[in-house]
Amino acid sequence: MGLINFLVYLAIMMGIYGILSLSLNLQYGFTGLANFGQVAFFCLGAYVSTIIVLTFDMPFIFGLLGGMAVACVFGYVIAIPTANLKEDYWAIVTLAAAEIVRIFFLNEDWVVGGGPYVGGSFGVGGIPQPLRSLFSAHTYPFFYLAIVLVCLFATYIIINTLTQSPFGRVIKSIREGGDNLPQAMGKNVKKFRVKVMAIGGSFGGLAGCLWAHFHGFISPDQFMPLETFIVWAMVIVGGKANNKGAILGAVIIMVFYNSTRFLKDYIPVEAVTLASLRMVAIGILIVVAMLFMKEGFIKEKRVVYSK
Amino acid sequence: MLRLENVHKSFGGIVALHGVSFHVEPHSITGLIGPNGSGKSTSFNVISGFYSKDRGEIYFQGKKIEDIEPYKIAMMGIGRTFQISEAPEKMTVLENLLLAPKNQIGEGVFDVFLHPKKIKKEDRKHLKNAFEILELIQLHDLRNEYAGNLSGGQKKLLSLGRILMSGPMLILLDEPTAGVNPTLIKDLIVAIKNLRDEKGKTILLVEHNMKVISEICDRVIVLDFGKKIAEGTPEEIQKNEKVLEAYLSGSSKRG
Repeated sequence: MGLINFLVYLAIMMGIYGILSLSLNLQYGFTGLANFGQVAFFCLGAYVSTIIVLTFDMPFIFGLLGGMAVACVFGYVIAIPTANLKEDYWAIVTLAAAEIVRIFFLNEDWVVGGGPYVGGSFGVGGIPQPLRSLFSAHTYPFFYLAIVLVCLFATYIIINTLTQSPFGRVIKSIREGGDNLPQAMGKNVKKFRVKVMAIGGSFGGLAGCLWAHFHGFISPDQFMPLETFIVWAMVIVGGKANNKGAILGAVIIMVFYNSTRFLKDYIPVEAVTLASLRMVAIGILIVVAMLFMKEGFIKEKRVVYSK
Repeated sequence: MLRLENVHKSFGGIVALHGVSFHVEPHSITGLIGPNGSGKSTSFNVISGFYSKDRGEIYFQGKKIEDIEPYKIAMMGIGRTFQISEAPEKMTVLENLLLAPKNQIGEGVFDVFLHPKKIKKEDRKHLKNAFEILELIQLHDLRNEYAGNLSGGQKKLLSLGRILMSGPMLILLDEPTAGVNPTLIKDLIVAIKNLRDEKGKTILLVEHNMKVISEICDRVIVLDFGKKIAEGTPEEIQKNEKVLEAYLSGSSKRG
């Protein structure tokens, strides 16, 4: 039973990070936007959904939609002044934006709506799980896994449809041709970048919401910049600009990330050290991927048109 | 069609355009020539909005072009190619062509989900057009190759292909034959002439190959030091003393 529970937990994590990875893949893999603040969307989704459900006593679905909406608006807003920046500056700005979001939640603990929102550095606990009362403790994770998989599937379909459409062609040309070429063909480059950030933001928010309601507890220290780089590892290892690759990357990295549970029985190293070593392992994986498989496990698919 | 009036543009202390005035007749092929650094490319960039001008006016089809973003100028019907032919490397030749048409329905996020049928139909139409253009620019066999794998000359052809796909009224070509092999240049000349004669387009081109210039241009404008120094038919230009002086004594005078 223990193993099955663990596998369900692992699958849920893979699903949630798969959504995050798909979102970053749309931004970086397809549009070339080096978002180093992906965790901001995750954090906003988690917090906004928690606040809506917990303090306003609203159903889960409103939390989910609210979290997505706020993360979407956040993506939109940070993209407006930064849309003309070059890749490296974009990375700096997004990294800073994500830290601002985290530090905001670290320092705020106001009272809102129906009850006090005790946040701040203590975090927020007791986040209700949707439809929890209908299931037993054993069966509930399976139900939650189903929710996560439905969300992952929907995200995949939406992002994949977008990237294969004329919209997808334009964002790829922005990735490839910088600003000049798409502009000379009448494409409003800035507007496309802003749109991509808004879409990426809403799915990042979705992942955060799913994460918060699964764990039942969130705190600002769960949304450190390191989380962003785990998602980057997924995109790089899995295969950038390939949506299946982004999901595969999430699966691979999550296996690595959780492998310490088993390794501790075989490797004579303390559990704490081992937990730190997993980040080293992911780092090595990124380096290996960049050296030997520049395009990741699944390469970008060449678009072939027939007459 | 296009009229520049007393346009100035400088970069720090370097004056690139020093009161340039010229005009381009509708349905004509006009050549823009001059020694290196005479302001040809800067003129292109100012017309297409990639540089904002310091002073002066530009009119397109009688309407004044304000300082607006390049994509808006492209939307007005001015298309251009670049001297260093940029091509989205990891997009195929066909994708490059399909990218070009303006205002595609499928470029809207919500439209992608709301009008899949319309988008498919529109893509079919563009695809049919693209296959015709592939024949013209002789890239048919390379249609599913990444543009990054093309040679420099082929990229030039591809940028001409993209222009043909987007169908602007006025086409600015920046050295369309540089790096293209002589046999293909002949085809290009035919293609450019067809644009004028069959499609009624207006073309302004920067070119160093005088043979190409004299073969296709109705009129030639010569720039030197950011100013127009001569204008006329290719024959007239070749006899013009000012032009000869600019080209022959150019480097020593510039010192």
